[in-house]
Amino acid sequence: MKTLQTLALALGLSFAVSSAALAQQSTPPAVPSVAPATETTATATLIKARVNGMVCDFCAQAVEKVFLREDAVDTVTIDLDDGTIAIILKPGQALGDERIAELVKKSGYALVSIDRTAA
Amino acid sequence: MKIRTLAAVYAASLGVPPLVAEARPVSYPGGWTVMQQNSGDASSLHIHYSPTFSDSIRLYAESNWANDWRFAGLQYNRLIKRWNMPSAQANAYFKLAAGGAQPFGGGDTRAAAFVGFATDWETRRWFLSYETRAYALGFDETAMQSARVGIAPYVGDYGDVHTWLMLEAEHQPEADEPVTLTPIIRLFYGVQLLEFGYTPATEAYRLNYIIRF
Repeated sequence: MKTLQTLALALGLSFAVSSAALAQQSTPPAVPSVAPATETTATATLIKARVNGMVCDFCAQAVEKVFLREDAVDTVTIDLDDGTIAIILKPGQALGDERIAELVKKSGYALVSIDRTAA
Repeated sequence: MKIRTLAAVYAASLGVPPLVAEARPVSYPGGWTVMQQNSGDASSLHIHYSPTFSDSIRLYAESNWANDWRFAGLQYNRLIKRWNMPSAQANAYFKLAAGGAQPFGGGDTRAAAFVGFATDWETRRWFLSYETRAYALGFDETAMQSARVGIAPYVGDYGDVHTWLMLEAEHQPEADEPVTLTPIIRLFYGVQLLEFGYTPATEAYRLNYIIRF
């Protein structure tokens, strides 16, 4: 299932498809945890950051704008239901946990956890 | 809504605040926001830039029909504190503006300023806000306050059209109708926010528009 979600996000499907994909993500991660910072890899990486305080579209836009300015970030998808930011990195790029925490804080919100999966 | 109100606001150069509860006065780092607000009592135009998520600098102009003056100036907004909760967000803001004010019907433009405090609490279903301001206009001093309660009849996903039903209470001691209630419908889509309202006590319509980029 996560592979399908990853593919859907990576391909930047239409809004309707994105909504469906986000709906599938409504189940919270089993164990919110902060994984070790990812080393540079040859494949894309999906990062899910759970944050507090993200309750409206303006909040989501702020997070999108801030994360998309990062060179390593390919796509950002916000799920307000889960309070999660799904980040797909460009192949070969890395984004450490400390940097993610900085970007969440810079956006005005509070980081709860980071979960990484190989795309 | 009065044509003269709109014309006056846009002609009042840059800067002005209406006496109504407004959306968050700060944005994301590097973000711009334009707000145009109109009620029977006041019309205003705001253009603000946020260098950080907790600060914004704004050009502001307001024409106040309830108190018969117009104001234009520069405003600084500071997010004093944000409470980020799992399903809610609350904020406290400080506002300070300085510029020039002129009474309707002629008279010199005087140095003027206002100071304000605002707070809000919001979930995806509920909204509460309160704002108070004190104005020193050179030829007059006044204060006002307003509060809003809102409910979203449905909770949409990010990117959907969001609808809010709100009720605003406003207190302007020197106005002909010092206390007014205004039901408002807020439509929120993408980077744009549009509000329609009607104030029975003054028989005035409310139209507010906000865009962020």
